[in-house]
Amino acid sequence: MNSMSLPASLLRCAVAAALAALPAVAQDLLAVKASRIVPVSGPVVDDGVVLIQNGRITKVGKQSEVEIPWAAKVIDATGKTVMPTWVVAHSQGGVRNFNENMQNVPWLTVADAIDPAAVYFEDCLRNGVGAVHVMPGNQTLLAGQGMVVRPFGRTVEDMTIAANTGMKMSLASGGGGGRLQQIRRLRRAITDVREYLADFDRRKGEFEKEQAAGAIPADKKWTEEIDRTKKGAVDLVQKKAKGWLYVPSFAEMDEALRLAQDLDLQIVLGSNIDEAVGLVKKLGKPVVLDDAIEYFETDEETQKEKRFCTAKLLADAGVPFALTLGLGGPTSYPWWQLGACVRNGIARDKAIEALTMVPAQLLGLGDQIGSLGEGKLGNLQILTGDPLQATTWVETVVLEGQVVYERSKDPRLQYLFEAEKAKASKAAGPERKETEKKESDKKDGAEPAKAEPAKAEGGKQDAPKSGGDGREVR
Amino acid sequence: MHRSLPLAAALALAALLPAQDGVTAYRNARILPGGAPAIANGTLVVGGGKVLAVGGADTPVPDGATVVDCAGKTITPGLIDASFRAGNTPDMNENGAEVTPHLRVLDSLDPDDPSFVRARSAGVTTVHVMPGSRSVIGGLGVVLKTHAADPQAMVVKNDASLRIVMGSEPSMGNRAIRGGSVDSIYYRRPTTRMGVVWAARKAFFDAKEAMEQSVGAPGAPPSPGMEVLARVLRGQLTAVTTARSEQDLRTALRLATEFGYRTVIDDAQDAHMLVGELKAAGTTVMLGAPSATAVAGSAASDGADPRSATVRLLADAGVPFVITTGSNLAALDLVREAMFAARNGLDAARALDAVTIAPAKLLGIDQRTGSLQKGKDADFVIWSTDPLDPAAAAASVHIDGIAVQVIR
Repeated sequence: MNSMSLPASLLRCAVAAALAALPAVAQDLLAVKASRIVPVSGPVVDDGVVLIQNGRITKVGKQSEVEIPWAAKVIDATGKTVMPTWVVAHSQGGVRNFNENMQNVPWLTVADAIDPAAVYFEDCLRNGVGAVHVMPGNQTLLAGQGMVVRPFGRTVEDMTIAANTGMKMSLASGGGGGRLQQIRRLRRAITDVREYLADFDRRKGEFEKEQAAGAIPADKKWTEEIDRTKKGAVDLVQKKAKGWLYVPSFAEMDEALRLAQDLDLQIVLGSNIDEAVGLVKKLGKPVVLDDAIEYFETDEETQKEKRFCTAKLLADAGVPFALTLGLGGPTSYPWWQLGACVRNGIARDKAIEALTMVPAQLLGLGDQIGSLGEGKLGNLQILTGDPLQATTWVETVVLEGQVVYERSKDPRLQYLFEAEKAKASKAAGPERKETEKKESDKKDGAEPAKAEPAKAEGGKQDAPKSGGDGREVR
Repeated sequence: MHRSLPLAAALALAALLPAQDGVTAYRNARILPGGAPAIANGTLVVGGGKVLAVGGADTPVPDGATVVDCAGKTITPGLIDASFRAGNTPDMNENGAEVTPHLRVLDSLDPDDPSFVRARSAGVTTVHVMPGSRSVIGGLGVVLKTHAADPQAMVVKNDASLRIVMGSEPSMGNRAIRGGSVDSIYYRRPTTRMGVVWAARKAFFDAKEAMEQSVGAPGAPPSPGMEVLARVLRGQLTAVTTARSEQDLRTALRLATEFGYRTVIDDAQDAHMLVGELKAAGTTVMLGAPSATAVAGSAASDGADPRSATVRLLADAGVPFVITTGSNLAALDLVREAMFAARNGLDAARALDAVTIAPAKLLGIDQRTGSLQKGKDADFVIWSTDPLDPAAAAASVHIDGIAVQVIR
């Protein structure tokens, strides 16, 4: 049997991926010239240039001061804004069923479930996201390992930035029963691991004792390893690995604090937390926010509604936070999330940091991603305008010095923005056009009761997918 | 001499005072009056619940007026949602019959409904509410302000529209009872798209017959429902047909042509597929939620295929359209839907018109509201920044000159 543990094999994959990602040509130079460069880690550079060599940023500066090597491929983004790609600190994107029906499954990993062809990853690039921390869902207990991926690549190995990022835990009661039951279940699960570990240590100690006493031959070795299905959870209770604990509301914050005393926890905060901001502050650590950062509460007495913004509550309390993006709807747009922050009174720069530098640091990748600094990965996005405006679009995404997305070649966007004529000719043959003509001819209608030519819904649903081999095009 | 107050204090004061008394001038604001060019350093003077003057920095401010400094803020007319969801759904759908043209949605509406508070908090001052979408012909819509001192005064226009619904919604979940007669009162019809269209057609056919018969006998009034349909057929009442997919859109237009009435199309998700036909029919289109054109996922409903291109295609072709939120479950706040329309390529001024003056004209209330013009109702919103900026919030909302309470 292969003695290599699952995490170790994944780590090997990660290394392989890192090697594979290196460009074939030794001197791979890219220069991106732009009217506005927002490095996030430092002041804005007007009329600047970013140099990327072998997938890493080598220089960020003014065009007048930085010499562009003659061999460099130049992207001219004059009139546009260049920024680091966004970092999403916690997501379930790209995984089809992210909540395992069994609650206590610490041996699972999202590496086995990430679908590199998922539309989610395309959407990431469309939105300028360059790194996603994919984790199991929130309706879980000890749910398994997450990983940080870049949203581009044919295989999970290609996409890996960091594997085995920690154990997903949740205080949301997905397994039926209430809040208290979930708390009890989680405590039970952790106690089980501790008991297992104590028993393992006791048996090992007895073995050694007996060996010392001569009851067991001196050359016999202790061969038992930690149960593979428990390894991840053991790492968690031994504080060798981080736990990513989802706290759905203020009511679970007490328990989260209690768990944080014995574990290395990263809190992922749901909504409805206005009553527990003090407790979050007591934690003394940055937190990750759910994608829904605004919520309403109705006063039970007056029936009056009140609006809260989690990000603003935390900002006021001085708790650093990372924003995340939803899987669909408006919160999936970075500009929407940043706009919501600013609308609620958070400073612009702070909002931008909450989707770049803060999540990068939380993931232990602060020296790799999250800002445009020398030595960091050559990840950047070119935007048509201000990153906080709805009318701004991501024009180009560069990951590790490679252009991985160009809006002008995005087939799905073209589909959404093209005029209908093109689709009609694509989806139906010439006969179909004939029928249409006839239909419109008799529109004044002797016999309008006749059903439409069966342009079934099935056919329509197929149409968008046919444009879908987008990853090739990019 | 003018009393000059900071915005917050002035608004607090304005909320306390009976608004009709006194004149207030909002100065130094960027004003987007709706249907007219923006005013960079504008002045808005209101009093007695009406707009007294709109203009540049040199607009005269009457003596004794309270002056509010709105530097950095943007003022727009109160937004108008031409299809707004209010009340609880079961109360909006009469299950007794599939064709109930004479029912009034107003009778189901609670003036204290939380949806009105949410709407005005998001800058919406006037809404058009229609009966629910579970009936083929659900009944009469009403235009309301989202706030008034007296609930009665909320009504801007009663019997503003007749709602017709195409597609699968009126038939959804309807089944013949096993072993029961199709004439049973427990059997809710229709059960198919065919049945939906048949029910609508039969209603208009009956109304037409009733009209023809009553020509000779003017004293005999037809049943109440028939009378309402007759008003639609005579062009005295606007029909609003909810139709999402291309198929349903064509059916809606065909029915209107067949019986010779004009209809507005509501939540026309597939409007991009028949821009020419809509233009030829002179139909106004209500766009349910320009935001709901996700690349992935299920932005569409009822077999439609919504596209980001729709707003631009309709604008280029000159098809009149308004932006609404009521018929599309994915819809966001109205101002955000206008923002998404701008994102999808619609000119910012037109995006704002599509939630102000355009719906006012469509609903026939543009004499009262929809733009900031002398003599119109003082319905306006002071935004923290440009309303189409995602960071924009309504700093204060005024209806008939009263600064209304919004959710904070």
